[in-house]
Amino acid sequence: MMRASWPRGVALLAVALASAVAANAPKSKLTALPPYAGAYEPKTVDERGVWMEADEDERKLRDSKFVVKDAALNAYVRQVLCDTVGADRCRGVRLYIMRVPAFNASMAPNGTLIVWTGLLLRIRSEAELAGVLGHEFAHFEERHTLAQFRQQRFATDVAAWASFFGAYGAVVQQAAIGSIYSFSRDQEKQADLRAFGYLAASKYRAEAEADIWDRLMDEADASAAGRKQRSQRYDGVAFFASHPTSLERSQYLHKLATTNGNDGEDGAATYGKAMADWRGEFLGDQLKLNDFAGTEYLLGQLAREGWTSELLFARGELYRMRGNPRDLLSAAQFYRDALTKGSTDPLLHRNLGMVLLRSAAIGEGRQELEQYLTLRPDASDASMISALIEQSRTN
Amino acid sequence: MKRLTLVLALCLTATMAQAGNSLIVPNQSVAVAKSPLTVRPSGEWNKLAARPGRSSETWTIDGDTLNCLTFYGGIEDGRTLFREVDKRGKPLPHFSSTMLLTDVPGLVENSYRIALGTSLFQVGKIEPVTLAGQRAVHFAYDFVSQGDDLHRKGEGYAAIAHGKLFMITFEAPALYYFDAGIETARQVVSSALLDSK
Repeated sequence: MMRASWPRGVALLAVALASAVAANAPKSKLTALPPYAGAYEPKTVDERGVWMEADEDERKLRDSKFVVKDAALNAYVRQVLCDTVGADRCRGVRLYIMRVPAFNASMAPNGTLIVWTGLLLRIRSEAELAGVLGHEFAHFEERHTLAQFRQQRFATDVAAWASFFGAYGAVVQQAAIGSIYSFSRDQEKQADLRAFGYLAASKYRAEAEADIWDRLMDEADASAAGRKQRSQRYDGVAFFASHPTSLERSQYLHKLATTNGNDGEDGAATYGKAMADWRGEFLGDQLKLNDFAGTEYLLGQLAREGWTSELLFARGELYRMRGNPRDLLSAAQFYRDALTKGSTDPLLHRNLGMVLLRSAAIGEGRQELEQYLTLRPDASDASMISALIEQSRTN
Repeated sequence: MKRLTLVLALCLTATMAQAGNSLIVPNQSVAVAKSPLTVRPSGEWNKLAARPGRSSETWTIDGDTLNCLTFYGGIEDGRTLFREVDKRGKPLPHFSSTMLLTDVPGLVENSYRIALGTSLFQVGKIEPVTLAGQRAVHFAYDFVSQGDDLHRKGEGYAAIAHGKLFMITFEAPALYYFDAGIETARQVVSSALLDSK
């Protein structure tokens, strides 16, 4: 049913996009979007049911402690969405940023847009964020959830969220790469094409959407290798099964970019600035997942333009937490490098002191801990660190 | 027939689990977590048959989601705090006998984050104390578990003796139950003794 329907959808989209080409001076050859229908009410029994569930989920979501309430961060992500899909499409969307360290975004049929903080950590630019948000919005505008619901009752994002807040003890997938989209391949392609349309009509570079995929799959591979599992990259099951292969996706997005133009901005610097206050927090969540290889890959990606003191500190933490004797030596080096780069974070001295003590470099370790206490005499663990210093003298 | 067998099996399991829960009577020394750690509670507790891991044991007063006192009786080098549910997909961090006491709160935090699937876990004040005559660390923490979105507070006491981790934690919903139960839990902690044999 679905497979038969998408070529028509794509054809309609192509017609709509093509007819709009002449309307404006294009950034790309694809410009104005088809007009937005505006407020929509569910029409069939199935659809009303799906909406009712989505409304109920949203009520729980609204009160959840996992929602990041920070006004500036919410306003920023919303602005990127509005710049991508346009003010009239954006108006009815309710955005919820969830504190979950995995890559995921989803949009319920009633207009609830959920973005996980693990996604914000991995995105490099506004254009990439626009690509993901545009892709989710495309699923929403095409009402894919309803189609999927009809096809397979429990395979929807809504169901995924119901289980998130469902029975006590239910645990959300905490793997670095979650199931970002649980739609069919045809729907994915349809959403990719429509998202490309949004981006082409926006100020952003449309091809950015394609850039994310290779990195995600590489990270999933790194995690799997680190955990001695085989790569699921080319599996016919699980996460990537519902997606066009990276090659296929890359090919058609690149082709679109070639034929329709790939102008526009990336907004990497503005994105970096907007995330500056949050990156440390999101990195902290990631580091505590006990996924050494995946996190190491991610840190390498984030440090592509050089290791900042913040990233070096995070890398030190990663090695300290794994805690093999060789890891402790590496951690000490990363902490020292971060200090050399000019970091003044007192925690660097604390954690450097701890790895030195564990590596039997007692004198140096003690000095670092004393330095920590000098910088932060009222720290919440000051008395414990003092005790540790005393203990290191007597041992 | 298959259905009947299933129902029967479920009932049996339930009965066995029920039979496993037992009353801890006051003012008697009792060994916990099948370990050399003993405590002497001054009030009644319920010992749950279900245990978080091989070297641990859970007590409660009103039910383990309302107040939960957990004993870890000698976690060995290279072992996890809890039984691993998904060893391949979500491996838990291991205790290492070279850890410092200050590393223990981090080990607890990371284990909880993974086991409960939560990103809302914070360690508060960390202080030196003694536990069962050993140098120990006391740490406060709070977290929200994903299933019920409920804010819980906790307190942990941990010592490393003979290369093993001995720890007692108490946690309860921040609303009412933590304050109501913490003194009773602290009394149990203060009564702890570690057999040196």
